[in-house]
Amino acid sequence: MSQFWLSLLSRVVAIILLVVVLSLVSSGFLSVQNLINIVRQASLLFILSSGLTVVILTAGIDLSIVSVLALSACVAANFIQQGWIWGGSLIGLAIGAGCGLLNGLMVALVGLPPFIATYGMYWIAEGFAQVFMQGQIIFGFPGGFRVLGAGYVAGVPVPILVMVVVLVACFFVLQRTNFGRYVYVIGANREAARLSGINIRGNLLLVYSLSGLISAFAGLVYISRINAVESTIGEPLLLPAIAVVCIGGTSLFGGEGGIGGTLVGALILTLVTNGMNLLNVSPYWQWFVMGAIVVLSVAIDQLGSAKVGGA
Amino acid sequence: MANDVVLQLERISKQFPGVKALDDVNFDLRRGEVHMLVGENGAGKSTLIKILAGAHRQDTGRIVLNGQPADIHNPAQALGLGVSVIYQEFNLVPFISVAQNIFLGREPRHPKIPGLIDHARMNAESQALLESLSVDIDPRSMVHYLGVAQQQMVEVAKALSVNARIVVMDEPTSALTTREIEQLFAAIKRLTARGVSVIYISHRLEEVFQIGDRVTVLRDGKWITTMNVQDATMDVIIQAMVGRTIDRMFPRDFAIEKGEVALTVRNLHRHGVLQDINVTVRCGEIVGLAGLVGAGRTELARVIFGADPYDAGEVTIFGRTVRGSPAGCVAIGVGFLPEDRKREGLALILPLRENVVVASLRRLFPWGIIKRAKEHSVVTDFVKSLDIVTPSINRMTKFLSGGTQQKVVLAKWLCTQSRFLIFDEPTRGIDVGTKAEIHHLMNEMVKQGAAILMISSELPEVLNMSDRIYVMHKGRITKELSREEATPEAILRHAMGVTT
Amino acid sequence: MSETVWRVWARRAALAPGAVYALIVLSLVFGVFTAQFLTLHNLTNVGMQGSVLIIVSLGMTLIILTEGIDLSLGPVLGLAGVVLALCVKQQMGLPLAILLAILAGAAFGALNGVLITRLGLPPFVVTLGSFGMAQGLALVLTQGSSIAGLGPAVQYFYDGRILGIQVPIVMTAITFLVVYIILYHTKFGTYVFAIGGNQEALSLAGVRTRLYKTGVYVLGGILASVAALVMTARMNGAHPTVGVGLEFDAIVSVILGGTSFERGRGWLGGTIIGALAVSVLRNGLNLIGLSTSWQVTAVGMVIILAIVVDGLRGI
Repeated sequence: MSQFWLSLLSRVVAIILLVVVLSLVSSGFLSVQNLINIVRQASLLFILSSGLTVVILTAGIDLSIVSVLALSACVAANFIQQGWIWGGSLIGLAIGAGCGLLNGLMVALVGLPPFIATYGMYWIAEGFAQVFMQGQIIFGFPGGFRVLGAGYVAGVPVPILVMVVVLVACFFVLQRTNFGRYVYVIGANREAARLSGINIRGNLLLVYSLSGLISAFAGLVYISRINAVESTIGEPLLLPAIAVVCIGGTSLFGGEGGIGGTLVGALILTLVTNGMNLLNVSPYWQWFVMGAIVVLSVAIDQLGSAKVGGA
Repeated sequence: MANDVVLQLERISKQFPGVKALDDVNFDLRRGEVHMLVGENGAGKSTLIKILAGAHRQDTGRIVLNGQPADIHNPAQALGLGVSVIYQEFNLVPFISVAQNIFLGREPRHPKIPGLIDHARMNAESQALLESLSVDIDPRSMVHYLGVAQQQMVEVAKALSVNARIVVMDEPTSALTTREIEQLFAAIKRLTARGVSVIYISHRLEEVFQIGDRVTVLRDGKWITTMNVQDATMDVIIQAMVGRTIDRMFPRDFAIEKGEVALTVRNLHRHGVLQDINVTVRCGEIVGLAGLVGAGRTELARVIFGADPYDAGEVTIFGRTVRGSPAGCVAIGVGFLPEDRKREGLALILPLRENVVVASLRRLFPWGIIKRAKEHSVVTDFVKSLDIVTPSINRMTKFLSGGTQQKVVLAKWLCTQSRFLIFDEPTRGIDVGTKAEIHHLMNEMVKQGAAILMISSELPEVLNMSDRIYVMHKGRITKELSREEATPEAILRHAMGVTT
Repeated sequence: MSETVWRVWARRAALAPGAVYALIVLSLVFGVFTAQFLTLHNLTNVGMQGSVLIIVSLGMTLIILTEGIDLSLGPVLGLAGVVLALCVKQQMGLPLAILLAILAGAAFGALNGVLITRLGLPPFVVTLGSFGMAQGLALVLTQGSSIAGLGPAVQYFYDGRILGIQVPIVMTAITFLVVYIILYHTKFGTYVFAIGGNQEALSLAGVRTRLYKTGVYVLGGILASVAALVMTARMNGAHPTVGVGLEFDAIVSVILGGTSFERGRGWLGGTIIGALAVSVLRNGLNLIGLSTSWQVTAVGMVIILAIVVDGLRGI
């Protein structure tokens, strides 16, 4: 655990540095409005990446999260727009969990490599989303639903509150429950986990289902914020989501990292993006910077790495 | 056979944390001889070979090759000096051809087209090499599809190809049929005819008399004796291998009352691995499972624990027939300490604390929520009672010593309050002090009504700790020995399938 | 003698039934359901459109053989196309433009290789990062827009013919030949198998494994640039995001073709069959008139199905 706290510290230092530099360089940075914007933007990314974090902790990966997000959001939106807020939301969540369950079945029961299984699901969900929407956009959701993404409670934007709730919940589950423990052990050493009596299949099914569920939930928050949905809303989110988890110090080999890292990763990425916007850096550089940061964070971690990867 | 000495290992010592693997060992090798190296597991044979091969460096002592002192840093250098080692797990690339493997790194260039390999020449020369060993393998065939014996021949051809003057073979016949062994011996004779010297490590003592010129016995890291094979007998060798006083070990209490039957294995069969196994273990006893490496002991343990499937027969634990998964076994109170504690027993990147409770979470926290305080106290209790040396219970398991890691695995299973435990080499690679502690713990456990099945390759441990001993050989149980019948010689004999 | 050669080939072929079955089944299905599928015109179309995927997949095969992966090949292709187009627009002459495009691909390959071999970083993450970087560069260079109208010299690489055969098909054939020779007739190729199969054995033999491992990624980048040439010619322009998703298709083609993620086991010919299977799938779905939306779903399902079947066969 101490290894993780150390790498977390380096990230926190990075955030502090970023904040300091940006506030010096750009006058608009330290405004309350801007800071709130940053945290709110980070929260959306964080929520999506939280499910992915759990999957990656088991030494797996879920490439389908963005299209599951889109599919569930599109179907849910269809109902929500007609006024069935709770019903639509539940349907969306169910779709997300269902897709996740399918991923879990492929990975845990059939034994497909997670990369391939979730990649296939990526296309399947994406396709269904396109079929469902027929290229159209749904916009304009009832006020009750919009609270989720655009509302405020006591002056604090709701997405930020949701982020805090998700953070606390995930932290609790990962650090304080048996299930969370199983997640870490399966990722750290699957064979040792099996020989310790842990039910690998059952836990993996749960993990992937959760990932799908959370993706759907993130989708609800997202469309509530932008007040519209179309089948491709998920597309630009895949790289940032994975990047956020990597930047946060969670290892792709499993067993190392945590939700706190993902939060920090989301903040760092959003700060960098926001900073680049303020400095009028072309948005196209953002791709480049994102890629560079991913490589950098992993390289830094490698210097104090616990679980050895190969060259 | 000329008498010149091609290799001298002088006063080699090697210390590993907690264990002195080699203590002032002398060894010499003559040109063209087959020198057998025998000894129990842990006697130091592999360490000696690894030093010669450049995989380890000796602490003291020196290596003299052909009269010149040699300082061997790494395996590639050893190869360059003419030392070729054929390990049990071959060093071959599976999906390229035999010829490509033989010439790996030294591919002949195409005479006309630059940059290309001269496959024709490579195949022809490989063919010639293989023929010189009287082996019929197509040099173009892919290594992955060859049988074990054939792959071994490829290794031998490889050694020839690099003009090795010393070839070391580590347990070459463990996976071979009788006919294949004959072929191997024929190939070895061809090697020695060319003046190549062979160091041959084996557990099969009959091979000493079949192929050896001289034999050296190691025991507990020390050189015991070297003699000409024609002057030796099986008894003399066995005696040299085991002769030691075993009474200074942990005093085991054998007066414990035996309770219910914990394990019954009947007619267990696993194709190609286990045959016709019948085993019983009762609460209150430690049953030893002896045999050589490859005899099938770990395989049996894994089948019992549900980690591997079986084809026929019955495994009953505490009255329940099991055929399932480790999870199922753990649920009915079975524990398993694997041989490879790092790969199978522990999650090294997790803290000690988590490794201790990992198998007991359902028992300790039935509601699924971990209470840190309870976890802390449970783990701390084990740290105390097992005398686990660590600065904190949150220390990453990777950083603990081997002995301490084994104690963590032990703590894990003690924490589950399992009543039937399978120990696979419980004290391998562990210092004497911790060994005694673990033996004490085992004694306490059976005193409190647990049943233990213990796999061990260390004769003193088996003899000292077991109420009864099953000896395995090639997937079968060759003998069940009571405490009175159990002597080192008896065990070794049955372990090697010697029926004189 | 010929019997053993046949045996070696048969063994190699036995590695790829996943793709073979897929190709055969798909071809039959489409052949039955649409009149147009089995026409020469259409099949040539498949070949042409599939050429980009095939060329990239060839490079990916070698990378996966070394137990690695390269997620950046898609954007690298896009970047190479952008570099090519920009140079052409700047009147630098086609040969120079092509050279620079290839250098761009090679450079990213070298970056990947060095990070993976020197720093020991996992290929997935490294190439994910370079994915972003390549994509970013491509976008920056074009400011997000396409570069169109490159002229007949470039278009030749898609529309032109050599000895009556379309250029892309010729290029694919030549590329395959070159990569085949590299893989099966040079020591570089032997070492590719060795790095994946038993890297220990290779270093023991005194070979500089890091150098060759990096070389594999460089080759991947170069091939992506070659494919970019065909792609750019086909669209008569370069768009910075044209390659996105291609690397995944390439990975699927390689796996379907019988190359596994572990142990240096694979078959180059299988990759072509796999890539053709994927191309046939897309082509056939188009012919059937399946809307693009359903196509996307169908592709996903077929991929999973093929790999499950492969897995069940116990490869």
